Amino acid sequence: MGANGDDDRAVDACPPVHDLTLTWRDGREESVRASEDETVLDAAEQADVSLPFGCLTGACTTCTGRTLDGRVEHGRPPRALKPHYLNDGYALLCVAEPRSNCRIEVGADVQTDLVSNPWK
Amino acid sequence: MATDPHHDHDHGIDGPGYATPQAAIEQSDREKVAYVIGLYVGTGVDAPDFIAVVDLDPDSATYQEIIERVPMPNRGDELHHFGWNACSSSCHMEGLERRHLVIPGNRSGRIHVVDTKNRRDPELETVIEPEAVQEHDLSGPHTIHCIPDGKILISMLGNADGELPGGFLELNDDFEIEGRWEPPGEIEFNYDFWYQPRHNVMVSSEWAAPKTYQPGFDMEDVEAGNYGRRLHFWDWEEKTVDRTIDLGEEGLVPLETRFLHSPEAVHGYVNAALSSNIFHFWKENGEYRIERVIDFESREHEGWDMPVPALPTDILVSMDDRYLFGGNWLHGEVWMYDISDPATPRQADSISIGGYFGEIREVQGRELVAGPQMLQLSLDGERLYWTTSLYSTWDDQFFPGEAEKGSVMLKADVNPRKGTMDLDEEFLVNFGDLPEGPARAHEIRWPDGDCSSDVWQ
Repeated sequence: MGANGDDDRAVDACPPVHDLTLTWRDGREESVRASEDETVLDAAEQADVSLPFGCLTGACTTCTGRTLDGRVEHGRPPRALKPHYLNDGYALLCVAEPRSNCRIEVGADVQTDLVSNPWK
Repeated sequence: MATDPHHDHDHGIDGPGYATPQAAIEQSDREKVAYVIGLYVGTGVDAPDFIAVVDLDPDSATYQEIIERVPMPNRGDELHHFGWNACSSSCHMEGLERRHLVIPGNRSGRIHVVDTKNRRDPELETVIEPEAVQEHDLSGPHTIHCIPDGKILISMLGNADGELPGGFLELNDDFEIEGRWEPPGEIEFNYDFWYQPRHNVMVSSEWAAPKTYQPGFDMEDVEAGNYGRRLHFWDWEEKTVDRTIDLGEEGLVPLETRFLHSPEAVHGYVNAALSSNIFHFWKENGEYRIERVIDFESREHEGWDMPVPALPTDILVSMDDRYLFGGNWLHGEVWMYDISDPATPRQADSISIGGYFGEIREVQGRELVAGPQMLQLSLDGERLYWTTSLYSTWDDQFFPGEAEKGSVMLKADVNPRKGTMDLDEEFLVNFGDLPEGPARAHEIRWPDGDCSSDVWQ
């Protein structure tokens, strides 16, 4: 315990911060920093980087991204994402928090990977 | 600009709407503007969804233009269906006006109230934030109906996590949440509803949980039983389900529930979108029954693995209860059936346009990149309008051009005496050339009520 208990608590409470590289399919790229207790979407909003979103509860997939490098964890169950997409690195960025530096594919067109025309 | 004109109700009371469906036909003016849902959710356009005000006055210099847009305060709502604070069901309520549009975000769960006192320049008045809705363990707001005494009922498709069960949320006339309308446990799936108060009945239909339909359509979910196929007939006053009818394999995903407008009528229709059928429901010997009355056959399409279903995603009944209109979104067909014998609909006319098989592929030089979807009919039954977007993620699967080029709003002139309709080739509202980028367009409403809003006591 340090001389100043309050400071120690403050240090203990401060979650690690990671560098996120957000990459769009048209080649655009942005870097933002995110702590482990904030979602990728919130971190991007804080940095004035606009990402798609809808329900903000993990139910609608509007915010779907794909983790190309690094690791995220969902703070709330990503209910709308089927297990095979989770295994393929897809994540719901409205509820996904970084656990390492990450490179994440973002943009509205990532969501379109999840479904296709079943009759075609 | 005048608000709801408070038509003569023939009973000395100055409430909203009209005394009877026939009064709505006789006393209404031609629609001068339309309110149309415009969407940017799920596209690369970084802008909120909006209500478009479309000029429908042929004498106006801005006829068939979007003359105003009311942007929502947040992105990501997926505005979808909307409704009025009051309609003809409250025409006994002196002082109540049809003036406020209640506009939910189906994805966000946020509920907006827009004041249309100035019909050509409406203003956002109130917002109910999603957290307040989720407190009632509900999400996915869909259909809005005003109910008598100024209250508003909203079908909710999921719980706070976007899973089943859904339910109904009630607002008071100050646009505050009153709470859950029905006792818990009455239904699992929810979608659209319509009530017929004289017969103490409400009918509700089934889509799926938000977590199932919002990502898009996955056949695995159909096979897993994650899509609905039942109709629920409610005791309107008790707010409990009296009877549930399973429509079976031929009744998958029953969507729009439309009772005839006559308050005496005990007949209605529902479109089973996925199995591409129309069901008639009616009351007989004190009990509601259903029968499949229209089948749309799937069609082979070169290069597709499976026959293409018609997907009739919207239907409506004309104010005079003589015709059922609908659109087959995938096939590209707008149709009208004579329902003067409700149990035996008879095809009157159709227009083959857009979609995968429509003969008309462009209007005013604008390529059609989707089929006819949400419909709205003038109160006099002489003008049918439609838009082309179903739901952002479903558009992306079946008509990705909607995101790239935007939706259109089209019009047909209807002759309700002859049972015919003709495309108005001069009419086009192009949602593809807006300043922020191409937008989708969904439900349409008129300021003085329309064929899918008004109910009579």
